[in-house]
Amino acid sequence: MTSDLPETDDELLMRMRSGDEQAFVALYRRRQAAIYRFALHMSGSGTVAEDVTQEVFLALIREECGFDPRRGTLSGYLFGIARKLVLRHVERGRPDMALETDLESSALPELMVDADPLADLIDREGIEALRRSVLALPRRYREVVVLCDLEEVDYGEAALVLGCPIGTVRSRLHRARALLLEKLSQRWQHRSGAMALKPIRCLI
Amino acid sequence: MAAPLWCDGVETDQVFDMNCQEFWNTMPELAQPAEDADSEHVRECAACAALLNRQRTLALGLRRLAADWRPVEAPARVENRLRAALLGQAGLAVPGPPARWWVPVATWATAAAVVVALAMFLARGRPVIPAHRTASSRVQLAVAEPPADLGMLGDFSDAESDFIPIPNAARIEPNEDLNLVRVEVPRSAMIALGYAVSEDRASEPVEAEVVLGADGLARAVRFLE
Repeated sequence: MTSDLPETDDELLMRMRSGDEQAFVALYRRRQAAIYRFALHMSGSGTVAEDVTQEVFLALIREECGFDPRRGTLSGYLFGIARKLVLRHVERGRPDMALETDLESSALPELMVDADPLADLIDREGIEALRRSVLALPRRYREVVVLCDLEEVDYGEAALVLGCPIGTVRSRLHRARALLLEKLSQRWQHRSGAMALKPIRCLI
Repeated sequence: MAAPLWCDGVETDQVFDMNCQEFWNTMPELAQPAEDADSEHVRECAACAALLNRQRTLALGLRRLAADWRPVEAPARVENRLRAALLGQAGLAVPGPPARWWVPVATWATAAAVVVALAMFLARGRPVIPAHRTASSRVQLAVAEPPADLGMLGDFSDAESDFIPIPNAARIEPNEDLNLVRVEVPRSAMIALGYAVSEDRASEPVEAEVVLGADGLARAVRFLE
């Protein structure tokens, strides 16, 4: 019966390292999508995401980074490499989001608003706005949202990936969601304002 | 039993007697819509209740975003490149029990150094998709139109083609997308394909072109010297 169970990542990795290409393919197909999406959400660039995914698995092929199963899961290890590579790409290509200081120094969103800016989240446009808001988060908040909310990595594993205590993951997630609410509120207010200024009649 | 992560060392029954800050310290989990953990604090604090409601709506939106993106994955060409890299790392062997005289994988792995043939392809006027950027990669691919003589490889037996089929490899299907990879391998690799190689030259590098099928597996090889 146990033979029907899918092989674990560690088992596939061992087979891969003994030269079994099919084991590598199975491992790659199991893990590539999450790594690619992580890099895509973090960078906003399909090219960077593709490069990062390739380099993550090349590192695995070359055994460059020394995965140790006693220190965490292979999935977390791959996310960790991907994170470093994304940072390298971002640093090489452009500075981190300019929003970082502005948003961090701002106050938490108002607890009460006149209307619900989150009502938009039920439609595709609202979800796209949310995606853009995630992308615009300062990097350290963006990565916890992408890992924990979008890729459903648990807090313990996220802490290993990010190299910080689990409490930091939790507080960053809290802060990240507050920033997202603020971004969405700003967007909603901007749209409301634009609608209010919409000309009713041309006078000339 | 260890305390659940969200408790973070705080006993659950203490949650019901807290201020706003303490309440929001538990926020990441409380914001999950499935978590029906409205505490007394939320029932008594309208501000926190409103914010909690917004957090839960946001969490739902994030779930929808995650679901929308679930089908997104890396392009297939990434897998093909990686399989080629694995091939370059491990040699030209295809899966299957190695014969006794087969060159050990370790020899391949340590000796294989891969060279990009992009410039050569361009010089020959072939349409080329630029090799992907992997600056530190030891394996790089030139994906090109297959050489004319690859058409002869259909049954791997045409004497006019100087490509040699890889043992146990699948045949090339008509109209199959092929990739051509130029690599440098130890001369000892030629032994596996029936060439006579003197022992003193076994470790010398030799250039070879490897034909990869659409599945990324090696189908044939030809040595360029």
